[in-house]
Amino acid sequence: ITLISLLFFHHREALGEYLDGKKESEEDQSKSHKQKEESRLKLAKLLLCGTEFVTNIQVATDIREIHRRVEEEEIKRQRIEKLENEVKTSQDKFDEITAKWEEGKQKSIPQDLWDVLNTQQLHCAGLIEDKNKLISELQQELKTKDDQYVKDLKKQSDDICLLLERMEEQVKNVMKSFRQELHHIEKAFEMERQELLTSNKKKWERALQAHNAKELEYLINRIKKADEYEKQLNKQRIWDCEEYNMIKIKLEQDVQILEQQLQHMKATYQLNQEKLEYNFQVLKKRDEESTVIKSQQKRKINRLHDILNNLRSKYAKQIKQFQEENQSLTSDYKRLVMQFKELQKAMRHFALIDDEKFREIWLMNEEEAKDLIGRALDVDRIIHTHHLGLPWTAPDFWFLKNVGPISQQQRKSATQIVEEVLMQTEEEGVEEAASESESYLDLPKQVSAKTTRKILMLLCDESGFLIENKLLSLLLPLEKSECYLLRLDAIFSSLHTLLLVISPSHSCPHTFPQITTGNPATMEKTSLVLALEMAEQTELEGGKEESLVDGEPEEEGEPEEKVEQEKEIPPSPRLIHPNDVLKILEAFVKGLKKPRDFRAPLRVLKGVRDDSKDSEYWKALTTVIPSARQSLWDALYTALEKYHHVLTQRANLLMENESLEQQNTELQMLLQQYLASKINSELQVPPTQVFRVPTKQSRTLES
Amino acid sequence: MQDTLTTPTVLARSRSSVSIQDRSSTVEQASNTGQPPLKPSVVTLPAKSKNPNSGAKLHRMRRIIAEDAEWSLATVPLLTELCIQHIVTNFHKNPILKQLLPEHQQKVLEHLSPDLPLAVTANLIDNESYWRRCCMQRWPVCHVARHGGSWKRMFFERHLENLLKHFIPGTTDPGVILDLLPLCRNYVQRIHVDQFLPPVRLLPQPWPGDQSDSGSEGEMEEPAIGHYQLGDLVAGLSRLEELDLVYGVKDCGMNFEWNLFLFTYRDCHSLAATIKACHTLKIFRLTRSKVDDDKARILIRSLLDHPVLEELDLSHNLIGDRGARGAAKLLSHSHLRVLNLANNQVRALGAQSLAHALAHNTNLISLNLRLNCIEDEGGQALVHALQTNKCLTTLHLGGNELSEPTATLLSQVLSINTTLTSINLSCNHIGLDGGKQLLEGMSDNKTLLEFDLRLSDVAQESEYLIAQALCANREAARQRALNPSHFMSPITASGPENSVG
Repeated sequence: ITLISLLFFHHREALGEYLDGKKESEEDQSKSHKQKEESRLKLAKLLLCGTEFVTNIQVATDIREIHRRVEEEEIKRQRIEKLENEVKTSQDKFDEITAKWEEGKQKSIPQDLWDVLNTQQLHCAGLIEDKNKLISELQQELKTKDDQYVKDLKKQSDDICLLLERMEEQVKNVMKSFRQELHHIEKAFEMERQELLTSNKKKWERALQAHNAKELEYLINRIKKADEYEKQLNKQRIWDCEEYNMIKIKLEQDVQILEQQLQHMKATYQLNQEKLEYNFQVLKKRDEESTVIKSQQKRKINRLHDILNNLRSKYAKQIKQFQEENQSLTSDYKRLVMQFKELQKAMRHFALIDDEKFREIWLMNEEEAKDLIGRALDVDRIIHTHHLGLPWTAPDFWFLKNVGPISQQQRKSATQIVEEVLMQTEEEGVEEAASESESYLDLPKQVSAKTTRKILMLLCDESGFLIENKLLSLLLPLEKSECYLLRLDAIFSSLHTLLLVISPSHSCPHTFPQITTGNPATMEKTSLVLALEMAEQTELEGGKEESLVDGEPEEEGEPEEKVEQEKEIPPSPRLIHPNDVLKILEAFVKGLKKPRDFRAPLRVLKGVRDDSKDSEYWKALTTVIPSARQSLWDALYTALEKYHHVLTQRANLLMENESLEQQNTELQMLLQQYLASKINSELQVPPTQVFRVPTKQSRTLES
Repeated sequence: MQDTLTTPTVLARSRSSVSIQDRSSTVEQASNTGQPPLKPSVVTLPAKSKNPNSGAKLHRMRRIIAEDAEWSLATVPLLTELCIQHIVTNFHKNPILKQLLPEHQQKVLEHLSPDLPLAVTANLIDNESYWRRCCMQRWPVCHVARHGGSWKRMFFERHLENLLKHFIPGTTDPGVILDLLPLCRNYVQRIHVDQFLPPVRLLPQPWPGDQSDSGSEGEMEEPAIGHYQLGDLVAGLSRLEELDLVYGVKDCGMNFEWNLFLFTYRDCHSLAATIKACHTLKIFRLTRSKVDDDKARILIRSLLDHPVLEELDLSHNLIGDRGARGAAKLLSHSHLRVLNLANNQVRALGAQSLAHALAHNTNLISLNLRLNCIEDEGGQALVHALQTNKCLTTLHLGGNELSEPTATLLSQVLSINTTLTSINLSCNHIGLDGGKQLLEGMSDNKTLLEFDLRLSDVAQESEYLIAQALCANREAARQRALNPSHFMSPITASGPENSVG
């Protein structure tokens, strides 16, 4: 309790302090936030103190409890000790008593026994008394504890009462102080507000005065200005009046004019209205018509839509149909192509056979013709030698030596050759075997068509400067082989012109011997197209000179080309060995001269066989015996015929003669027979006499 | 009011006989009883009708005025009101609420009687004002803030609490409570029962005998039937968060018997199973129930690894060192934030095990060991644990027979620790020197806000100075809370201190 009172005193002290602080706070009210802060601090302190004040009771109870516990512990310990002691002593006593029982048993004298029993009883009574004492002590303690418990209960209830009281007091205090603080704060705010109000009022008044002065000034200025403006206004008004009158007159005139115009306009308006009404009517009618038409059109549209739909469906159907047809046709086409190919194959086969046949027929006919010619010539010779006695020389004609069908050995141009080469190499995969066997250039084997192609390609690439730019640009989109071909063509043509200019004489001797070396058939042809040949030859030569590496600078003397060659040599050392060059050249030229169209029939016949020469040939065959000789023959024939006639007449006559002689003899024989017969003798007149005379006559005739 | 203009017309059409009256009534009512803002609109309408533009409006607003001039709508109650009244009177038979318009719902709720059976109202009415009326009618004092500010919750919690308080096992029908379960399962979050009645014996003990006798008798016989088993109830409450129980009898007065305050093993086992099964439980309090070491261990074992438990209060029991060791184990196996073991029999050993658990704990915020007997050994261990602990803010070691050595160690820890905000060392024997050392420790501390040293033999001067330091700390904390950004820089400059909000 003393502790509580002490704590309570503390609390009081704090309260007093707080009150003092409040007085201080009243002194400086000027700053409200300061006031607020202080109040807050005070209140916090108050609250803290209050809670402490209230919890003090709990703390006090706690410490009391602790004290109680400690005391309890102590008492408990003492009690236990005491009990233990008691137990020990009583045990001793009990032991003593039990020991004495043993002792007593040994006693035989009743007096002693009685004594012993008495003492034993006394001892027991003492023991019991001790125990009872202890029990009573403990009971006493219990009673005091009970009292203590009741006291504690009372105390606790008192404490709780005190706690409640304090709490209430605390609440009251806190409320009160909060109210006071609130009041103080409000007061501070009020003061501040008052001060602020007065200062603001003063400011306001000052400002108002200044404003009034300014207002007055403005007023005076304004009055002055107003006067001025009034004067100006008056002036303006007079001037305006005049102007107004003027304008009024003018406007009235205008009004009159306008009225007139209005009348006019009204008239026109009326007119227009009528017109428009009429137009309106017309338009209405038209509109009606148009609506009718529209509906018609709509109907039509619907119909047309239907038709369109129908047509669409039809169209779709047709598309389907056509597609089907197309498919069937394509399949047909494929089939036909196949057939065509087969046909071509057959054609080719037949062509070959035909050719063969043709050749055979030709040979047969030729043989026959030659036979005939031989016979004719023999006849001629016989006529000449035997009949005419003239010397006979055998006629020498070219066609007599011809065997087989006449071939047209068209010379192929260089470009064609090149094309062939290119094509060949391109088709190499397909007809490699053929190309090798057919290689018209009878080149040594190491110079294959491939290499030539390479050479040509190289030529193309290297001598591009000879081609015009324009051409190049045109060539770009073309195929590779075609491109090369055209390029080569261009290069050759340019080279050709170059060569013609530089050395026409140089190539001529070079070609002639080669022509002579060619077989007679080509020779004739080449002689016919010599001029053309020349050009081609040079061309080829030029091409060769460029393409084939040449080790004979003295032969081809063109400085430019040498340069070119030199240029070309290094990049293509493995093209052709220099040793081969001459051989190649020779072979090339030889090959060029050879009939090369034995390839042609194998391939698809490129053109129809030229049969113009055939008739010529055959005609020529007919004219083996010239006409002069024929006329001679005719004359001879007529003469011989006459002679023959005469001879035949003679023969006839001889024959007649003979027959007559024979007749004569026969008749003579008959006559003799007749005459010699017996009948004659019997006859009155013998016939022999009659005929004697004629017989003699005929004999004379005959003779 | 604007709705009343439309709804009655709809009603009127359905009843052709009264259509004219009804329609007129609506307009009349609008002009007579309607609020002021409506009145001018009615008056201005005819004026507007002169305007040819509002012809359509005039057509729509056609009405028939009653012939009887005396007749007034004020005497006739509205049909809606009649309907509402009918609904209210027959609510227990035919509860219609959700189908009504909001304002009508409001009216119905206002007129509903708070005596309606809970089976009708519990899941139908959410309105707070109705439940407020219910609460106010039943209990004179209502601390709605204790029940999360919800009157409905409060009603159900207190209703359930009442039932539990007066439940006598073996006599009262357990159905009484289980019937309530489907009604209150969504609203009850807290069960606070401060008495459990023991089962009634057929032959009441003649208690006028010796009190010691009755006490011994109570101890001797362990009643077969325990208190009410909470298992079924708690399993049914889906939102239960707080369980606050006292196994004892209130206001027994002179009818005191020891067995009135008996927390049997059976009770203990069933309670342990109950709290283990309740995964929503956050706060568990079991106070003044004579829980000894064994029972405490049974309970704590069931709480190990509980998902959400935050607070455990076993104050005013008989827990000794073994129980404290169990609590220490629980500390490291749960997310416990508050542990209260006040007024138990924890001694130095228990405190040491608690300290060991505390040293590396990161959840516990508050530890209360008031009125135990941990003495200097335990105190030193605990204070030592505070060196490494970075979480504990409140520590109550009042009445623990502590003395100077603990204070010396605490003064060292105070200068290091930055999380502690409140320490209570009242009712110990700290002594004058201890007080001085504590004052030294306080001079380096900037975070401690409360430090209770009452009745601990500390010199008044040092107590006063410590109070001053605390005051300064409090001011600093307040400033930090007011504008944390402004005061952040000096704090960070001065040291790694947490801003205690």
